[in-house]
Amino acid sequence: MSDETPFYQEYEVFSKRSHKTPLQYQFSLLAPNDDMALFMAQENFMRRQDVVDIWVVPRQAVRSLTSEERQKLTQRLDNKDYRTTKGYGYLRKKWREKEQGMLDEKEIMSWKEVKKT
Amino acid sequence: MYNYVEDGDSPARAHAEGDEAKYDAFMTRIEAGDKIEPDDWMPDDYRQALIKLISMHGMSEIMGALPEKEWVPKAPTLRRKLGIMAKVQDEMGHGQLLLRVAEDLMAPYGKTREDLIEDLLAGRLKFHNVFHMPTKTWADAGMVGWLVDGAAIISQTNMLDASYGPYQRALQRICQEEVFHAQHGESIIMALAEGTDEQRAILQDSLNRWWEALLMFFGPASAETTGSSKQDIMIKYKIRKSSNEELRQAFLDKYLPRVFSLGLTVPDETVHYDDKQERWIYKQPDWARFKDIIANKGPRSQERLTLRTIAYDHNRWVRQALAR
Repeated sequence: MSDETPFYQEYEVFSKRSHKTPLQYQFSLLAPNDDMALFMAQENFMRRQDVVDIWVVPRQAVRSLTSEERQKLTQRLDNKDYRTTKGYGYLRKKWREKEQGMLDEKEIMSWKEVKKT
Repeated sequence: MYNYVEDGDSPARAHAEGDEAKYDAFMTRIEAGDKIEPDDWMPDDYRQALIKLISMHGMSEIMGALPEKEWVPKAPTLRRKLGIMAKVQDEMGHGQLLLRVAEDLMAPYGKTREDLIEDLLAGRLKFHNVFHMPTKTWADAGMVGWLVDGAAIISQTNMLDASYGPYQRALQRICQEEVFHAQHGESIIMALAEGTDEQRAILQDSLNRWWEALLMFFGPASAETTGSSKQDIMIKYKIRKSSNEELRQAFLDKYLPRVFSLGLTVPDETVHYDDKQERWIYKQPDWARFKDIIANKGPRSQERLTLRTIAYDHNRWVRQALAR
């Protein structure tokens, strides 16, 4: 159908279930323009799901990893434990010897309030 | 909702010479359970098997909506009408997802959705045997939801770990919605099975007419029956796990006890479970007829394709208007 070949564009679809949740990738779709893409996204992916927002992005506007980059860049974090608390896990035992608790992520993230004076 | 039928042509090509290292790396990823993405290197026979499987699956979703939509205006209650409309819309949605997956695989060949639709209308792209059959009564609408979708669920859940990422992700979504379809079908069947003598009679009549198509659904047990089979390549590349016959046996295992529990029978007096062989024994369907049906010589093949052609032609002006 040469007369209709440029009709469709590829769109990537993202949605948000609530304002607290991150944008979630849904799938791709074909649509002739942005408005139709949004409408199709709703019909294709939100038939049984409430959402607070939908993003449709023309695929050509997305620079994602190529196949080679994916193989190289996504498996490089196996030698970086000095960046994470995992690399400092031995401290728990040290503190226990000194009869102190570990100030771990759970503990620190719970410090929203301090005692009022 | 629907899977793949074996239909004969286009022998798979092996990978090109000089690609041995890429092929080995690919197979290592397959063996490791890695997901293959559209822009990853893949052997031609993998790409072709996927295109054939997924384009047929996608078109069958769309063609599968046609026998059911006939019952939208004739549904017995408003609630049933809303239920079957939701199901028909789901099938079209599944078609959209699957065609998208097929299109990305076909992109290196310069093929698009239009080519798929043209292939369907010209008879080059097959759709599933069950959608060439008539839906004569309301019981058939229930039968499609209960047993046809039941058979589809068996074959689709078998591919939930498929090695091709986009297909596997589409199937997760599709199978979740199939749970609703199955219960929609069960609800129609249950009402008829617990209804009047006449209701039970149309239900039994429906199952009698659908039985052979349901056995055919999974395809012949081996390539000898219809000339070719893609089962081996599908299993080798971890697209699916089980053979046609294993899937058919799983279907009979899950559904025959339910069929009998409703007081229904199947139109094959030889059907029984063999404890020694640990399998269901059944009379083979007519595989020559199966080949005819998927070659668009089934009872409703031409009507359904005509309906699709009319929709495609009549809506051309909408596509043209939107494109501007």
